[in-house]
Amino acid sequence: MLHEVDLTVEPGEVVVATGGNGSGKSTLLRIAAGVTAPTAGRVERPPSIGYLPERFPSGVKMPARDYLRHLAGVRGVPLRWDLVDALGFVGDEHAPMATLSKGNTQKVAIAMALHATDLLVLDEPWSGLDAAAGAVLGELLVATEAAVLLTDHHGHDLPGSRVLGLGTTGSVGVVIELDRVGESLALLSALDGVFEAREVGAGARVEVRSGHSDAVLAEALRLGCSVRSVRS
Amino acid sequence: MTALVRYLLSDVLRTQRFLPPLLLFGAVLGMLYSSDAGPALGAYSGTCALVYPVGVWLTVVIATAEDPVRRSITVVASGGWGRTQSAVTLLAAAGVLGVAVIATLVPLVTQSRPYPPEVVGQGFAGLLVCGLAGVGVGVLCSRPVVPQPGWSALAALALVVLGYVLGRVPPVGMVLGALGDGRGDVWGKIALSGGCAVLLVVAATLVARTLGPRGG
Repeated sequence: MLHEVDLTVEPGEVVVATGGNGSGKSTLLRIAAGVTAPTAGRVERPPSIGYLPERFPSGVKMPARDYLRHLAGVRGVPLRWDLVDALGFVGDEHAPMATLSKGNTQKVAIAMALHATDLLVLDEPWSGLDAAAGAVLGELLVATEAAVLLTDHHGHDLPGSRVLGLGTTGSVGVVIELDRVGESLALLSALDGVFEAREVGAGARVEVRSGHSDAVLAEALRLGCSVRSVRS
Repeated sequence: MTALVRYLLSDVLRTQRFLPPLLLFGAVLGMLYSSDAGPALGAYSGTCALVYPVGVWLTVVIATAEDPVRRSITVVASGGWGRTQSAVTLLAAAGVLGVAVIATLVPLVTQSRPYPPEVVGQGFAGLLVCGLAGVGVGVLCSRPVVPQPGWSALAALALVVLGYVLGRVPPVGMVLGALGDGRGDVWGKIALSGGCAVLLVVAATLVARTLGPRGG
C-alpha cells in the first residue's frame, strides 16, 4: 500500500498526512506508532508514543478516569485529567466509557494519547469533537514539544504544520464544499485542477489541486452555486 | 509491567467473561470432590485434566478482553507487542496459579482420605504444569495468533483434545499418567513436563509477539 515513504518528524513539528480513502494514511500512522510492522524498510521511534486510532471502540466498560489512570500508569507518568477538562469533557468520569457520547469518548482518547511526551500519532483526532474542543485540540498540538503525525480530513488550520501527501490524491490543495449545485456538478468536474467532485448530501464536495482553487471557486459562483466552506 | 498487568486484570474483571471458565472449574471440582474421590494422587490427576482446558479458556478470555483497536493503543502505550503479550501471559499464569492452589486445597477439606504433604506437593505441581500448558495453548489460540473467534474456539478445542489423546506425552499427558498410576519417578515426570510447559508458554508468547505487528 505504501511505497518509498521517507518521513522524519522532529520534536515540536506537526506533520499532517493527507490523501484520499485507501491512500495509506492510517497504515502509515499504525507503522509510525509501532502497531504494524512495515513489510520492508526501517522505522525509528522514540520511547514515549501516544496513539489515537481512527475509531475508538464504543463498548468499553471501564470508566474514563480509570482508563486514563491505568494507561498513565502503564506509561509511568501521573494522570493528567486536566487535559480532559481542557477539551471540555462533559459526563460522568466514573461511569463506563460505553455510556459517553462519541465526542466525549474521543476527548478521553485524545487525552490518553497526549500523555505521551515524544511522539503523538493521531488518526482523525477532530472526529466527533465540537468546535470548541477542536480549537483547544489545535492549540494543544501546536504547543506540544512532542513530534506530531496526524491525519485530518477536515483541513484544520495548524500554524507551522507540514503536509505529507500520500497516494494519487496527495497533491490535494483545497477542498471546496458547495450548496445549490444542481446540474453544475458535471461542469465542475471537468474544470482544470479538479480531480474529484461528488455529491455530498444536498450539496457537493470538490477537491482541487493547488493553484486552481480561485478559478474553480469563481466558476462555481458563476454557475450559481453557494459556497459552504473552503479548506486547504 | 506491574501497571500493565493490573490494567489488563481490571479490564478482564469488568468484562465478566472470566466467569464461565471459573464456573465450569467450580462445578466440576465440586462434583469430583462431593463424595469419595479415591486415592489422593489419582484424584489430583482427574483435577489436572480439568485445569488444562480451564487454563486454555481463561487465557483466551484474558488475551481477548480488549478488542483489537484498544489492544493497539495498549501496545503503543506499553512500548510494544512484546511487553503487552508478556503481560497477558503473566496475568494468565497468575490466574492458573490461583486455580491450581484452589484445586490443591479443596480435597484437603472435603476428603476423609489421607493427603500426605508429598502427595499434595505432587498434586499442586501437576496442576500448575497442566495450567501452564493451558496458558501456552490459550495464547496460541487467541488474537493475534488466531484472529477469528470461531477459529480460536476450534483450535482450542482441538489442542485440548490432543493433549488427552496423545498418551503420556509431556506436558499434560505425562502428568496425568504419572499422577494416575503413581508409579515410577513421579517428581521427575512432573519436572520434565513442567519444563515443557514453560517452553510452550515462552514459545507461544514469542509467536504472539511476532505475529502481532503483522496483523495489519
